[in-house]
Amino acid sequence: MRKVLFATVLGLVGAALLHIIIILSLPQFTGRDAYTRVLGLLEMDSFFALTSTPGSTGLANDDPYLRAAVCSFSISDGPARFLASGSVPFWSLAVFDSNSNEVFSMNDHTAVNGKLDLVVATPIQLVELRKSPPEALAQSIMVEMKEQDGYAVLRAMAPVDSFEEQVRNFLAESSCEPFRR
Amino acid sequence: MFRIPFLVALALAIAFGGGIASAVWALKATVGFGSIAIGPWVAFPEAQTINADPYAKAHRARAGELLYGGAEGLMFSAQTDDKGQKLQATCSYDVTGLTPQARFWTLYAANADGLPLRPGSDLPSALNSWTVLRSENSNFTIHVSPNAQPDNWLAVRHAGTFRLVLTLLDTPTAGSSGLIDLAMPVITKTGCGDA
Repeated sequence: MRKVLFATVLGLVGAALLHIIIILSLPQFTGRDAYTRVLGLLEMDSFFALTSTPGSTGLANDDPYLRAAVCSFSISDGPARFLASGSVPFWSLAVFDSNSNEVFSMNDHTAVNGKLDLVVATPIQLVELRKSPPEALAQSIMVEMKEQDGYAVLRAMAPVDSFEEQVRNFLAESSCEPFRR
Repeated sequence: MFRIPFLVALALAIAFGGGIASAVWALKATVGFGSIAIGPWVAFPEAQTINADPYAKAHRARAGELLYGGAEGLMFSAQTDDKGQKLQATCSYDVTGLTPQARFWTLYAANADGLPLRPGSDLPSALNSWTVLRSENSNFTIHVSPNAQPDNWLAVRHAGTFRLVLTLLDTPTAGSSGLIDLAMPVITKTGCGDA
């Protein structure tokens, strides 16, 4: 009887260990985290507008009034630049790394002139950019990102149906490209 | 004779069964620690950051949702009314009051997995701060009901329980720990069935 009790206690200790291991290692192998889903859209370096029904990778516009576009990017070869402009009641951008940790987020009130102009670079690339700032980036917001890969989410708001077209144009004209001098 | 193998099997069964079951349960039950609750409304302002706890990180990797950044907004969801009873799709509820300071807010009903309910394009399935009708003191009352209602009606066509999702966009509250003092709308049950 005592041996059964011992085995049960041992089992419970093992269960606690396994619980911790599963929780800590799960982010590495779910295969359906946000970054994998964005990569699954196969649209590197451009914003891909989501639909209201879940697409092939399960990403959708959850909020009925917000239209989102996603873009996966890599800054291993050079900085990435995000551009968007247009008149929508509200837009916001969030940049995440490949572990879905927020790197930077902003909205139209925190932008210069209400336009999106953001450069994401590694610390070394940022030093280069600061040493000899290119003319084109005079108004840009510079953000440092330690990881090489990530994704960005651009959201725009259509509070009433008549804004749909403006919002669609805003997302369609936005860009997410590698920056070259 | 089979005593030792039996004991080993028992220990292994408890370890693997218990470990896996408890991990799955923990990920289903909550989004993680670090929530802020105002009445029935719950939000996780740090779930998308690197400071999120391991449960929040595991949960977001499994759910694969596009979370809101700190400057974008903060999403509150309520699964119960103010008395703590689960929101039932056959019942009617009134959402009354004011939201914390924000440039915009949106409100919609979602199923248990957080996916928005779509009752049909001819029914009002969501409201926002532009379209909501307010009283003189700028408070609002939203009737969440399966039956047609005057003024602000949020139609729910669903079976079982649902949740209400209120997203505050560009809100100073997202980065503030003083959120506890802020007031959120009150959810009261007004009746069930066809009444």
